[in-house]
Amino acid sequence: MAGVIETYLATLRRELDFEPALARRMTEEIEAHLWDAAEADPAWPSPDAERRAVERFGLAREIAAEFAADAVSRQSRRTWLALLATLAVTFVAMRLRVMWLGEVGDSLSVLVPIVDRYAFIAALCVGALGWFAWRRSWLPLAICLVAIVASVAAGILRAGLFAEGAPLTVLLAAAGEIALIGLLSFHVIGLGRRLRRTALLRRVQ
Amino acid sequence: MLKGHLDAIVLAALEAGPAHGYAIIETIKTASSGTFDLPEGTVYPALHRLEQAGLLASAWMTPPGGRKRRVYSLTKAGSSALGERRTAWRRFSGAVDTMLNGGQAWPA
Repeated sequence: MAGVIETYLATLRRELDFEPALARRMTEEIEAHLWDAAEADPAWPSPDAERRAVERFGLAREIAAEFAADAVSRQSRRTWLALLATLAVTFVAMRLRVMWLGEVGDSLSVLVPIVDRYAFIAALCVGALGWFAWRRSWLPLAICLVAIVASVAAGILRAGLFAEGAPLTVLLAAAGEIALIGLLSFHVIGLGRRLRRTALLRRVQ
Repeated sequence: MLKGHLDAIVLAALEAGPAHGYAIIETIKTASSGTFDLPEGTVYPALHRLEQAGLLASAWMTPPGGRKRRVYSLTKAGSSALGERRTAWRRFSGAVDTMLNGGQAWPA
Protein backbone atom coordinates (compact mmCIF):
# COMPACT_ATOMS: atom_id res chain seq x y z
CA MET A 1 0.00 0.00 0.00
CA ALA A 2 1.35 3.44 -0.94
CA GLY A 3 2.34 5.72 1.93
CA VAL A 4 1.07 9.24 2.53
CA ILE A 5 4.00 10.87 0.74
CA GLU A 6 3.83 8.54 -2.27
CA THR A 7 0.08 9.18 -2.63
CA TYR A 8 0.63 12.93 -2.43
CA LEU A 9 3.39 12.82 -5.05
CA ALA A 10 1.20 10.76 -7.39
CA THR A 11 -1.56 13.40 -7.05
CA LEU A 12 0.88 16.24 -7.68
CA ARG A 13 2.31 14.51 -10.75
CA ARG A 14 -1.22 14.07 -12.11
CA GLU A 15 -2.08 17.74 -11.48
CA LEU A 16 1.10 18.85 -13.26
CA ASP A 17 0.58 16.64 -16.32
CA PHE A 18 0.07 19.70 -18.58
CA GLU A 19 3.91 19.83 -18.65
CA PRO A 20 5.32 16.31 -18.25
CA ALA A 21 8.98 17.41 -17.88
CA LEU A 22 8.01 19.83 -15.11
CA ALA A 23 5.89 17.14 -13.43
CA ARG A 24 8.83 14.70 -13.40
CA ARG A 25 11.29 17.26 -12.11
CA MET A 26 9.04 18.70 -9.44
CA THR A 27 7.84 15.41 -8.01
CA GLU A 28 11.45 14.24 -7.72
CA GLU A 29 12.48 17.49 -6.05
CA ILE A 30 9.46 17.68 -3.76
CA GLU A 31 9.87 14.04 -2.76
CA ALA A 32 13.25 14.90 -1.19
CA HIS A 33 11.63 17.86 0.58
CA LEU A 34 8.78 15.78 2.02
CA TRP A 35 11.07 13.04 3.33
CA ASP A 36 13.31 15.70 4.93
CA ALA A 37 10.25 17.27 6.56
CA ALA A 38 8.86 13.91 7.74
CA GLU A 39 12.21 12.87 9.19
CA ALA A 40 12.42 16.17 11.09
CA ASP A 41 9.04 15.45 12.73
CA PRO A 42 9.22 14.22 16.36
CA ALA A 43 6.88 11.32 15.50
CA TRP A 44 9.15 9.97 12.75
CA PRO A 45 9.02 7.17 11.61
CA SER A 46 5.24 7.05 11.39
CA PRO A 47 2.39 7.80 8.96
CA ASP A 48 1.53 10.79 11.20
CA ALA A 49 4.95 12.33 10.53
CA GLU A 50 4.40 11.87 6.78
CA ARG A 51 0.88 13.31 7.02
CA ARG A 52 2.07 16.42 8.85
CA ALA A 53 4.86 16.93 6.30
CA VAL A 54 2.27 16.77 3.51
CA GLU A 55 -0.12 19.11 5.35
CA ARG A 56 2.60 21.71 5.89
CA PHE A 57 3.49 21.48 2.21
CA GLY A 58 0.02 22.50 1.03
CA LEU A 59 -2.62 21.13 -1.32
CA ALA A 60 -1.24 19.60 -4.52
CA ARG A 61 -3.96 21.35 -6.51
CA GLU A 62 -3.00 24.80 -5.19
CA ILE A 63 0.67 24.25 -5.95
CA ALA A 64 -0.18 22.93 -9.42
CA ALA A 65 -2.34 26.04 -10.02
CA GLU A 66 0.69 28.26 -9.30
CA PHE A 67 2.81 26.28 -11.73
CA ALA A 68 0.04 26.33 -14.33
CA ALA A 69 -0.27 30.13 -14.15
CA ASP A 70 3.48 30.49 -14.71
CA ALA A 71 3.33 27.91 -17.51
CA VAL A 72 0.64 29.97 -19.27
CA SER A 73 2.88 33.06 -19.18
CA ARG A 74 5.84 31.14 -20.57
CA GLN A 75 3.80 29.37 -23.25
CA SER A 76 2.09 32.60 -24.23
CA ARG A 77 5.49 34.26 -24.78
CA ARG A 78 6.71 31.31 -26.85
CA THR A 79 3.52 31.29 -28.95
CA TRP A 80 3.69 35.01 -29.74
CA LEU A 81 7.33 34.62 -30.76
CA ALA A 82 6.40 31.70 -33.01
CA LEU A 83 3.62 33.81 -34.55
CA LEU A 84 6.03 36.68 -35.20
CA ALA A 85 8.52 34.33 -36.89
CA THR A 86 5.74 32.70 -38.94
CA LEU A 87 4.40 36.05 -40.12
CA ALA A 88 7.91 37.24 -41.08
CA VAL A 89 8.76 34.08 -43.05
CA THR A 90 5.30 33.99 -44.68
CA PHE A 91 5.73 37.60 -45.79
CA VAL A 92 9.16 36.89 -47.31
CA ALA A 93 7.83 33.75 -49.01
CA MET A 94 4.86 35.67 -50.37
CA ARG A 95 7.11 38.41 -51.79
CA LEU A 96 9.39 35.80 -53.38
CA ARG A 97 6.39 34.07 -54.97
CA VAL A 98 5.00 37.34 -56.28
CA MET A 99 8.38 38.28 -57.78
CA TRP A 100 8.73 34.90 -59.41
CA LEU A 101 5.12 34.58 -60.59
CA GLY A 102 5.45 38.03 -62.13
CA GLU A 103 7.85 36.44 -64.58
CA VAL A 104 6.02 33.20 -65.29
CA GLY A 105 2.48 34.57 -65.07
CA ASP A 106 -0.44 33.65 -62.83
CA SER A 107 -3.25 31.88 -64.62
CA LEU A 108 -5.17 30.78 -61.53
CA SER A 109 -8.63 31.94 -60.64
CA VAL A 110 -8.87 35.37 -59.12
CA LEU A 111 -9.85 33.94 -55.71
CA VAL A 112 -6.55 32.21 -54.86
CA PRO A 113 -4.31 35.32 -54.99
CA ILE A 114 -6.94 37.21 -52.98
CA VAL A 115 -6.91 34.55 -50.23
CA ASP A 116 -3.10 34.49 -50.34
CA ARG A 117 -2.85 38.22 -49.74
CA TYR A 118 -5.86 39.08 -47.59
CA ALA A 119 -5.69 36.09 -45.26
CA PHE A 120 -2.15 37.19 -44.49
CA ILE A 121 -3.27 40.78 -43.88
CA ALA A 122 -6.07 39.46 -41.63
CA ALA A 123 -3.52 37.43 -39.64
CA LEU A 124 -1.33 40.50 -39.31
CA CYS A 125 -4.22 42.68 -38.09
CA VAL A 126 -5.63 40.11 -35.65
CA GLY A 127 -2.09 39.41 -34.40
CA ALA A 128 -1.38 43.10 -33.76
CA LEU A 129 -4.75 43.62 -32.09
CA GLY A 130 -4.34 40.46 -30.00
CA TRP A 131 -0.84 41.50 -28.90
CA PHE A 132 -2.08 44.84 -27.59
CA ALA A 133 -5.49 43.80 -26.24
CA TRP A 134 -5.60 40.03 -25.54
CA ARG A 135 -1.99 38.96 -25.07
CA ARG A 136 -2.85 36.10 -22.73
CA SER A 137 -5.79 34.89 -24.80
CA TRP A 138 -5.77 31.85 -27.01
CA LEU A 139 -8.37 33.07 -29.49
CA PRO A 140 -6.40 35.71 -31.50
CA LEU A 141 -3.53 33.25 -31.87
CA ALA A 142 -5.87 30.53 -33.13
CA ILE A 143 -7.47 32.96 -35.61
CA CYS A 144 -4.01 34.03 -36.82
CA LEU A 145 -3.03 30.40 -37.27
CA VAL A 146 -6.11 29.65 -39.38
CA ALA A 147 -5.56 32.80 -41.49
CA ILE A 148 -1.87 31.99 -42.06
CA VAL A 149 -2.71 28.41 -43.02
CA ALA A 150 -5.23 29.74 -45.56
CA SER A 151 -2.70 32.27 -46.92
CA VAL A 152 0.14 29.75 -47.18
CA ALA A 153 -2.12 27.10 -48.73
CA ALA A 154 -3.28 29.60 -51.35
CA GLY A 155 0.30 30.74 -51.97
CA ILE A 156 1.58 27.22 -52.40
CA LEU A 157 -1.36 26.38 -54.65
CA ARG A 158 -0.47 29.41 -56.78
CA ALA A 159 3.17 28.50 -57.02
CA GLY A 160 2.49 24.77 -57.28
CA LEU A 161 1.28 25.03 -60.86
CA PHE A 162 4.72 26.22 -61.86
CA ALA A 163 6.70 24.15 -59.35
CA GLU A 164 8.97 22.58 -61.93
CA GLY A 165 10.66 25.85 -62.72
CA ALA A 166 10.54 27.28 -59.20
CA PRO A 167 13.77 28.82 -57.93
CA LEU A 168 15.35 27.27 -54.85
CA THR A 169 14.65 30.39 -52.73
CA VAL A 170 10.90 30.07 -53.39
CA LEU A 171 10.92 26.38 -52.47
CA LEU A 172 13.00 26.97 -49.33
CA ALA A 173 10.74 29.81 -48.23
CA ALA A 174 7.67 27.55 -48.71
CA ALA A 175 9.34 24.82 -46.67
CA GLY A 176 10.09 27.40 -43.95
CA GLU A 177 6.47 28.53 -43.93
CA ILE A 178 5.21 24.97 -43.50
CA ALA A 179 7.73 24.21 -40.73
CA LEU A 180 6.81 27.37 -38.84
CA ILE A 181 3.10 26.68 -39.20
CA GLY A 182 3.79 23.30 -37.59
CA LEU A 183 5.67 25.00 -34.75
CA LEU A 184 2.96 27.63 -34.29
CA SER A 185 0.23 24.95 -34.22
CA PHE A 186 2.18 23.05 -31.57
CA HIS A 187 2.47 26.18 -29.41
CA VAL A 188 -1.15 27.26 -29.90
CA ILE A 189 -2.37 23.79 -28.88
CA GLY A 190 0.02 23.84 -25.89
CA LEU A 191 -1.24 27.24 -24.79
CA GLY A 192 -4.86 26.09 -25.05
CA ARG A 193 -4.09 23.02 -22.93
CA ARG A 194 -2.36 25.09 -20.23
CA LEU A 195 -5.13 27.71 -20.17
CA ARG A 196 -7.78 25.01 -19.79
CA ARG A 197 -5.82 23.37 -16.97
CA THR A 198 -5.26 26.68 -15.16
CA ALA A 199 -8.97 27.49 -15.38
CA LEU A 200 -9.87 24.03 -14.09
CA LEU A 201 -7.42 24.17 -11.18
CA ARG A 202 -8.66 27.63 -10.17
CA ARG A 203 -12.31 26.60 -10.42
CA VAL A 204 -11.88 23.58 -8.16
CA GLN A 205 -9.85 25.47 -5.50
CA MET B 1 0.54 40.35 0.99
CA LEU B 2 3.47 38.00 1.50
CA LYS B 3 2.81 36.34 -1.85
CA GLY B 4 3.60 39.56 -3.70
CA HIS B 5 7.05 39.63 -2.11
CA LEU B 6 7.79 35.92 -2.16
CA ASP B 7 10.25 36.14 -5.07
CA ALA B 8 12.30 38.80 -3.26
CA ILE B 9 12.21 36.81 -0.01
CA VAL B 10 13.46 33.68 -1.81
CA LEU B 11 16.26 35.67 -3.49
CA ALA B 12 17.24 37.09 -0.09
CA ALA B 13 17.20 33.61 1.48
CA LEU B 14 19.75 32.49 -1.11
CA GLU B 15 22.05 35.45 -0.63
CA ALA B 16 24.08 33.64 2.01
CA GLY B 17 24.82 30.76 -0.35
CA PRO B 18 23.32 27.87 -2.36
CA ALA B 19 20.55 25.86 -0.71
CA HIS B 20 17.83 23.31 -1.53
CA GLY B 21 14.10 23.99 -1.21
CA TYR B 22 13.67 22.60 2.29
CA ALA B 23 16.65 24.61 3.61
CA ILE B 24 15.32 27.78 1.92
CA ILE B 25 11.98 27.39 3.69
CA GLU B 26 13.71 26.77 7.01
CA THR B 27 15.84 29.91 6.46
CA ILE B 28 12.71 31.97 5.70
CA LYS B 29 10.92 30.67 8.80
CA THR B 30 13.92 31.20 11.08
CA ALA B 31 14.88 34.63 9.70
CA SER B 32 11.29 35.87 10.03
CA SER B 33 10.94 34.33 13.53
CA GLY B 34 8.01 32.28 12.24
CA THR B 35 6.12 35.29 10.81
CA PHE B 36 6.38 33.91 7.28
CA ASP B 37 4.80 30.54 7.99
CA LEU B 38 3.53 29.96 4.45
CA PRO B 39 2.62 26.53 3.03
CA GLU B 40 6.02 25.07 2.18
CA GLY B 41 4.97 24.07 -1.33
CA THR B 42 4.40 27.66 -2.42
CA VAL B 43 8.18 28.20 -2.52
CA TYR B 44 8.68 25.72 -5.39
CA PRO B 45 6.71 27.62 -8.07
CA ALA B 46 8.68 30.75 -7.02
CA LEU B 47 11.99 28.89 -7.31
CA HIS B 48 11.04 27.58 -10.74
CA ARG B 49 9.83 30.99 -11.90
CA LEU B 50 13.03 32.69 -10.73
CA GLU B 51 15.13 30.03 -12.42
CA GLN B 52 13.21 30.47 -15.68
CA ALA B 53 13.85 34.21 -15.42
CA GLY B 54 17.60 33.54 -15.11
CA LEU B 55 17.78 34.89 -11.55
CA LEU B 56 18.59 31.47 -10.07
CA ALA B 57 20.60 28.50 -11.26
CA SER B 58 20.08 24.96 -10.00
CA ALA B 59 21.76 21.57 -10.08
CA TRP B 60 21.11 18.14 -8.59
CA MET B 61 23.51 17.29 -5.77
CA THR B 62 23.87 14.16 -3.70
CA PRO B 63 25.92 14.49 -0.52
CA PRO B 64 27.79 11.34 0.58
CA GLY B 65 25.24 9.04 2.21
CA GLY B 66 22.55 11.68 1.75
CA ARG B 67 19.47 12.26 -0.36
CA LYS B 68 19.60 13.66 -3.90
CA ARG B 69 18.38 17.28 -3.84
CA ARG B 70 18.17 20.17 -6.26
CA VAL B 71 20.32 23.00 -4.99
CA TYR B 72 19.62 26.60 -6.02
CA SER B 73 22.02 29.52 -6.15
CA LEU B 74 21.78 33.17 -7.10
CA THR B 75 23.05 34.11 -10.54
CA LYS B 76 24.69 37.46 -11.24
CA ALA B 77 21.35 38.71 -12.58
CA GLY B 78 19.68 37.37 -9.41
CA SER B 79 22.07 39.35 -7.18
CA SER B 80 21.35 42.54 -9.16
CA ALA B 81 17.59 41.87 -9.03
CA LEU B 82 17.80 41.37 -5.26
CA GLY B 83 19.62 44.71 -4.90
CA GLU B 84 16.94 46.46 -6.97
CA ARG B 85 14.09 44.88 -5.02
CA ARG B 86 15.75 45.76 -1.74
CA THR B 87 16.04 49.42 -2.78
CA ALA B 88 12.42 49.47 -3.98
CA TRP B 89 11.23 47.84 -0.76
CA ARG B 90 13.12 50.34 1.46
CA ARG B 91 11.59 53.23 -0.45
CA PHE B 92 8.11 51.68 -0.26
CA SER B 93 8.27 50.66 3.41
CA GLY B 94 9.72 54.05 4.34
CA ALA B 95 6.79 55.75 2.64
CA VAL B 96 4.27 53.46 4.38
CA ASP B 97 5.94 54.09 7.74
CA THR B 98 5.73 57.81 7.15
CA MET B 99 2.05 57.61 6.23
CA LEU B 100 1.15 55.39 9.19
CA ASN B 101 3.05 57.74 11.42
CA GLY B 102 0.80 60.67 10.53
CA GLY B 103 3.12 62.13 7.90
CA GLN B 104 6.17 62.27 10.23
CA ALA B 105 9.36 60.63 8.98
CA TRP B 106 10.01 57.36 10.82
CA PRO B 107 11.39 57.22 13.49
CA ALA B 108 9.58 60.36 14.66
